Amino acid sequence: MENITFRIRRYDGTNTWVQEYRLPYEKGKTILWALTKIKDEIDPTLNFTSACRHAICGSCGVKVNGHAFLACKTSLDKLLETFDTSVLYFEPLGNYDVVRDLVVDWKPKMEKMKKVKPWLLPSREGSKEEGFRQSKQQFAKISSSTDCILCGICASECGQLAINDGGYLEPFIINKAYRFVVDSRDNAPEEHIRPVLENELWKCIHCMQCVSKCPKEIPLTDEIAYLRKETMKMGEVHNQGARHAYAFYHDVKKWGRLNEMTLPVKTDGMVTTLRKRIPFAYRMIVKGKINPLRLPKAVKGIKGVRKIYQQVEEESKS
Amino acid sequence: MLKYDVIVVGAGGAGMMAALYASKDKNLRVACLSKIFPTRSHTGAAQGGINAAMGYRDATDSPEKHFRDTVKGSDFLADQDAVEYFTANMPAIISELDYYGVPFSRDPNGRIAQRPFGGASSPRTCYSADKTGHVILHALYEQCLKNNVEFLDEWFLLSLVVADETFHGLVAMNIKTGEIHPFLAKAVVIATGGFGRIYWNRTTNAINMTGDGTAACFNAGIPLKDPEFVQFHPTGLASTGILLSEACRGEGGYLINREGERFMKRYAPEKMELAPRDLVSRSIEMEIKAGRGFGQGLEAYVLMDLRHLGKEKIMERLPQVRELAMDFEGVDLIEEPVPIRPSCHYMMGGIHVSDYATLATPVEGIHAAGECACVSIHGANRLGGNSVADVVLFGKYAGIGARESAKKRPFGLETLVIKEAKKWESKFATMRNKTSGIRLVDIRNKMAEVMWNYVGIFRHEQEMRVALETIDQLLNDYEHAYIGDPALRYNTAFVHYVEIGNLLTLAKAVVLGAINRKESRGSHARADYPQRDDENFLKHTLIYKRGDRYELKYLPVKITKYPPEERKY
Repeated sequence: MENITFRIRRYDGTNTWVQEYRLPYEKGKTILWALTKIKDEIDPTLNFTSACRHAICGSCGVKVNGHAFLACKTSLDKLLETFDTSVLYFEPLGNYDVVRDLVVDWKPKMEKMKKVKPWLLPSREGSKEEGFRQSKQQFAKISSSTDCILCGICASECGQLAINDGGYLEPFIINKAYRFVVDSRDNAPEEHIRPVLENELWKCIHCMQCVSKCPKEIPLTDEIAYLRKETMKMGEVHNQGARHAYAFYHDVKKWGRLNEMTLPVKTDGMVTTLRKRIPFAYRMIVKGKINPLRLPKAVKGIKGVRKIYQQVEEESKS
Repeated sequence: MLKYDVIVVGAGGAGMMAALYASKDKNLRVACLSKIFPTRSHTGAAQGGINAAMGYRDATDSPEKHFRDTVKGSDFLADQDAVEYFTANMPAIISELDYYGVPFSRDPNGRIAQRPFGGASSPRTCYSADKTGHVILHALYEQCLKNNVEFLDEWFLLSLVVADETFHGLVAMNIKTGEIHPFLAKAVVIATGGFGRIYWNRTTNAINMTGDGTAACFNAGIPLKDPEFVQFHPTGLASTGILLSEACRGEGGYLINREGERFMKRYAPEKMELAPRDLVSRSIEMEIKAGRGFGQGLEAYVLMDLRHLGKEKIMERLPQVRELAMDFEGVDLIEEPVPIRPSCHYMMGGIHVSDYATLATPVEGIHAAGECACVSIHGANRLGGNSVADVVLFGKYAGIGARESAKKRPFGLETLVIKEAKKWESKFATMRNKTSGIRLVDIRNKMAEVMWNYVGIFRHEQEMRVALETIDQLLNDYEHAYIGDPALRYNTAFVHYVEIGNLLTLAKAVVLGAINRKESRGSHARADYPQRDDENFLKHTLIYKRGDRYELKYLPVKITKYPPEERKY
């Protein structure tokens, strides 16, 4: 490959256009190297943000060929190989307001983050004068979530955010809440959890894009699953999400599989189901996707399934 | 007109700590202004830890020992009253950070873990794996959100308005809109970090470490103290200069030359790799000069070997370091040694602070804290783990100091700040309209080249004279520079233009300070004056800027307890 073509989406506050730049290929370079070289040598009007250049400040998240990357630590060679192309298309992070070119606005996100009380609500076991005691195991619980550098890549990749009307929280905000929920020094985990629940915690569809793209490999969806369980322990079991989870739980326990006929009723209740789902169910019946006459039957290995349930229940007790 | 009782410029560890403390008085209107979003600040890049004599790991440790180590590390140029104040107050700050939720690594008793660091007589560096600065920065941001600190994110300081030694306010640009605003303020805290970017790429510093606040103070008549003292971190990655934490040596890493030898035995037989940074950096360069390094010229390097620490320890204590070596040098530290070379890391010098308890400068109402300031507690060489400590502690006292200043000062004159803003507006307009001239990047690269080659780890009068001439020429070229972007909105080309002006202004002070200090002390190593000269140079350099003229003065060092002695490790 002699040249790499960079097609960059530009924006000046009014107009959007795509501009093309070409750089001779060099081995072992990063996305940030390319952006910097373009600005320094070809076009000083191109704008992007970057600072530390070693993956700790979180400034340089950018979308290339549809996926978000941290520009400073992402190798161009890897991208060219992954996408099997010499043409790279750059855009600003998704699910953000764009300021100019590849620069996005963080201010609204921080206003949103305040909802989860993103600060320690210190327990009485510690004091400003003496600090806290915290065991190595307790520290281990907050070690990964505090790696978050607020680069916004998870938010850019989030499928739910893309279709949501603004109520859903960015994965990094959920991570921030989680980080305090599991901190032994925090006195009031509920105060961080409740706003997450009220902001559509159950809407995460576990597409795993945030996890697979996080440059710090934070297990965001595990955190979401944990927070959901906590809300159920708090007694929040009558919302749609919790009922849906229970429906899964009971169906699988009983039959080893889902009963898709009763799932909507168990999740949304009879009234909503009748009101909203009848035409949809009708279409599914016509296409042969579901059969209302077939009674559910347990799968072959149901004993094994129940043993798994038993095992998990025993372990969660101990 | 934007009016604040206190404006904090910079949102790193020092700035946010200052904003937090200044805003504790609910009668005051406080803003924290930063050219980047707060958690992008360079405090986050600090890896290895923060020094405080907690005595958790070594019960015999004490603030007194921390005091002595810091003074010795400084090659006796630190002001001892300030150092004593610093080390005595650090343990309380660590507990405070713990209370703010900083996730510190823990010892088996659940107390904050501590590790050995260069130049320290006890293992007193508190840490969170190898991302200590990052977690402190984020915790401080959380505390600021909790306390409703008003942030002006992506606002760029252009200048301070000082007339007849009286502070009136400042001028800053809202980068997102391109609007230039005058501000009236009763007090300001400058906390804008260092200016390692005078060496451009040969530094561990983020690309925006351009000393904007330092230059603004300097231009406003506040002197720079000891600018010639530039710390080179021994273990920058060979190809990029990116930092690998001192914790690598703290946890027991070896430095190896081409002959497979732990060469530090030649230079610091007792402390070996745990000698302070200035000494280790010079030792590496000596090995390279003696032909015992790998590679040639700018590409030369030595190796750091961590393999004997074992996978488990590396994964627990140095996970980020391992990742950095993999991502940026293609080396897995568990399997092989990593090529390293010293890289410009830290400015010991900076804005002259005349009162360590309030962080006041000679101009009433202007305070400074963090790397941009020179208190001085680091003297001629800073110890690893003392910088994050410096920012949080002195950030706190700067916040309190500015709060008190604001209470006793009236607002300044609107006409003066408006006039200054108009000046910048017309400059911005001129630069946006200019379509030809000298390329800014060329000026920047030339500056970095002469600074690295002639005002680097080893210095010589003749070479520094060349550097001075070049910088003067570049200051001249700067008048003819053009930026090539006519836009108002988010014009990073213009921001960069101002940044380079700041770097040139400061680089010249570094060279002047270095030429005139005819001795070797701490990080300042003169080939033509290899000895420390206490008789003539046990004093701080002060450089004033009067228009385009730079004036040199000196100030005695405060020695309270430890008289200078030979510095051996």
